[in-house]
Amino acid sequence: MSTVPSELAVESEAKGALPTGGAPTPARRVIATLMKSPAVVVSVCIIVFIALLAVCAPLLAVITGWGPYDFDKSAIDSDLGGIPIGPLGGISAEHWLGVEPGNGRDILVRVAYGAQVSLTIALSATLVTMTLGVVLGMVAGFFGGLADQIISRVMDFLMAFPTLIFMIALLSALPAGNRPVLLVIVLSIFGWPYTARVIRGQTMTLRNSEFVEAARASGARPMRIAFREVLPNLRGTIIVLATLAVPGYIGTEAGLSFLGVGVMPPTPSWGQMISTAVGWYAVDPMFFLIPGTFLFLTVFSFTVLGDHLRTALDAGDAA
Amino acid sequence: MKQRTALLALTLAGSLALAGCSPASDAPDSGGDGIGGTPTAGGTLRVLQNADFSHLDPAQGFDGGVNNFYRLIYRTLTTQGTGEGAEGTEIVPDLATDLGTHNDDATEWTFTLKDDIFFEDGTPITSADVKFGVERALDPSISIGSPYAKIVLDIPEGYEGFYSSGPLDSIETPDEKTIVFHLNQPYADFAAVVAQAPFTPFPADAGVTTTSVDQQPIASGPYRVTEYQRGSTLVLERNEHWSKESDDVRGAYPDSYEWSFGLDGATIDERMIAGQGDDRNAIAGSVQAASIARIQTPEIQERTIQGLQGCTTYMPMNTTKPGMDNPLVRQAINLAVDKQAVKDGTGGSQLADIATTMMPPTVAGFTEFDLYPSDDFAGDPEAAKDLLTEAGYPDGFSFVLDIRNNPKMQAQAEAIQQSLAKAGITVEFNLIDSSTFYEVIGTTSQQHDAAITGWCPDWASGATFLPPIFEGTQIYEKGNSNVAQLNDPAVNARIAEIRAMTDVDEANAAWGELDEQIMELAPAVPLLFEKAVMVVGSNIAGAYAHAGFSGGIDYVSVGLADPEK
Repeated sequence: MSTVPSELAVESEAKGALPTGGAPTPARRVIATLMKSPAVVVSVCIIVFIALLAVCAPLLAVITGWGPYDFDKSAIDSDLGGIPIGPLGGISAEHWLGVEPGNGRDILVRVAYGAQVSLTIALSATLVTMTLGVVLGMVAGFFGGLADQIISRVMDFLMAFPTLIFMIALLSALPAGNRPVLLVIVLSIFGWPYTARVIRGQTMTLRNSEFVEAARASGARPMRIAFREVLPNLRGTIIVLATLAVPGYIGTEAGLSFLGVGVMPPTPSWGQMISTAVGWYAVDPMFFLIPGTFLFLTVFSFTVLGDHLRTALDAGDAA
Repeated sequence: MKQRTALLALTLAGSLALAGCSPASDAPDSGGDGIGGTPTAGGTLRVLQNADFSHLDPAQGFDGGVNNFYRLIYRTLTTQGTGEGAEGTEIVPDLATDLGTHNDDATEWTFTLKDDIFFEDGTPITSADVKFGVERALDPSISIGSPYAKIVLDIPEGYEGFYSSGPLDSIETPDEKTIVFHLNQPYADFAAVVAQAPFTPFPADAGVTTTSVDQQPIASGPYRVTEYQRGSTLVLERNEHWSKESDDVRGAYPDSYEWSFGLDGATIDERMIAGQGDDRNAIAGSVQAASIARIQTPEIQERTIQGLQGCTTYMPMNTTKPGMDNPLVRQAINLAVDKQAVKDGTGGSQLADIATTMMPPTVAGFTEFDLYPSDDFAGDPEAAKDLLTEAGYPDGFSFVLDIRNNPKMQAQAEAIQQSLAKAGITVEFNLIDSSTFYEVIGTTSQQHDAAITGWCPDWASGATFLPPIFEGTQIYEKGNSNVAQLNDPAVNARIAEIRAMTDVDEANAAWGELDEQIMELAPAVPLLFEKAVMVVGSNIAGAYAHAGFSGGIDYVSVGLADPEK
């Protein structure tokens, strides 16, 4: 009894959706669905805030008067092992989120610069893995045969690898060089198969759909079919995969910096700050809490957004 | 070579778990008893330690921590004294009856052994055993410890230790109690050389091999190893054949010692601060900077020991690199470094004093001076800029600093980087993994423009401090300790002159003056004299920091106040 009306509802919704746009998941409807969820609104606000923080880091340094590398000896107590003077890790009008123990660097400014590093690395890695993953996944799924065999085996190989251990080994062995670029490369090498596998599966389904048959019958070349007919239908999947990949890379970058193989000091990075803060948790918990909170909020917001996006798009696909 | 390991104890594991020493002024009470009065014999003393000892074989281990440990199981002809400050670094007789007698030019040294000295199996220690111990230690496969036997004994070309080349003619044993050493140079301080660990005796006829000692040591001291799991635990129990009457140095109060290795530094601090259960009978190495604020309560202060490690943390500058070959540049860097910031990064005033000289105050002949002064040691970027302009770098200068991948060193490096930036000097870091750090900076083809490292004297004399790190003849392609690669004719000549002095006091004073002469050339920036701050258990007695062992708690003097607890 109850299933029949719901199916009908879905159908009527789908019918209503069809005339508004050619694509199966109209962006407007997805956005409307997302806007109804307070969790998504909050997440987007947080992401925007952190992105602004990253972009405006130099401005923040000018406003507070402290650069990311400036020491402030007057803010720490040399006789007590260098702990920040004042409550809550030295929070004051001078240093809005307190200072780092041992050197007195301003935490707010370093968190802002750290956001710059984290977001740049995570977004670049996402861009690279998405490009690689989508192209290779589509080639494997669409053409099948030898291309599929080769790409699938490479993916199996990379996915079977103990990724974190290998990243640590690789990054320790490589010369210091340009760390952020190295991080993006290493993250991308191990990240693309996860995208490619999903894309390959979806492509294989789409390959046999009617509109592809139609395109093929009308004489379109395979490349054109892949990129003009199949790719637009993967749009939703790609957006969801990308949104969910970003927090993964932010977390991995922080983890690698925590382990001392990521971004090199003195470049500020959240993972590194948390790593340094571990020893200080008992006397200066704020030093741990502040970068930790920023890291948590960023990862959490991207994950919530990605999840909701997937739900919204899935609902569209079901139609 | 040698200091690579000594340094390991000092900086890498700065808090290894056995550091900390106390100048006489910090003495909690008189009599050299250290904290908690004189111990009572008996009980089990526990040691919480981060890293295991490098080697149980005295031919191989060579750092403050392991040398301290060796005194529990091994004896040498002479050894360092007990007590805080200079009392502890004084050389006193151990197996020998006195500090040896020598011929006129100090090239031939004779020692007589005491009576009633035995190995752990009850066989008496004879002069042949001492001779065998040295010959064994000269085997190239194990001679990675203290190098002084190799340096001063008259060893024929191509001699490769007892197992390959047989007995060594330059050590004579006219009878069971007498041993005579022939040296290749006059050496007034030879009594300190025979206190080095490779002079430990081993039974000449008991089937000892190159590797057996590291597995199963043969004790000549008050304790023997009864259980050893590498990286995990080490248990010592009394050697019944050792007699207190034959030994003026060792208190040897506890019945047994038990080491726990592989503990995290923060965990050790946590346990020592709490001091519950068996940890009341425990000692450990220096606390971490983050724990300093937590040990300020009167209850914990009562069981805290503090003191200099007797080492210098410094930044040698590679004088062969372009730019760094100009003394003006090196002087400018000396002027610009904010040593106060370096100190704060290391843990503040409780964990470090600022160094303006290369030799630490614990070394005999130490002379205080500051050739590159600034207000509050905060650096003088303006004066540095002037010098740089004069040197031909009006637009600044940049160099690469080799540092170890560890938080304390990074904090020091960041402080240096930040202070030099104010003088227009750009510092780039080359982060090196801790395990290979000394190998890299000790290889002339791999080191960069500067490094942050440390140096501890092998005994409290300038002779074991300045020459290894600044003598031109001691620059080696690998295992180099003269990281600055300073090869200054005047300095080299002066070192040779001081070496030839037969009066030890005169030589010590001369080393102090040489320190200043070297600093005028500015081959290095002396940064800190790091200190150790150690919290001991509430039932610990007789604990004090020994200046001869990187400031570690002297193992042979510590014990329990009440073994029944």
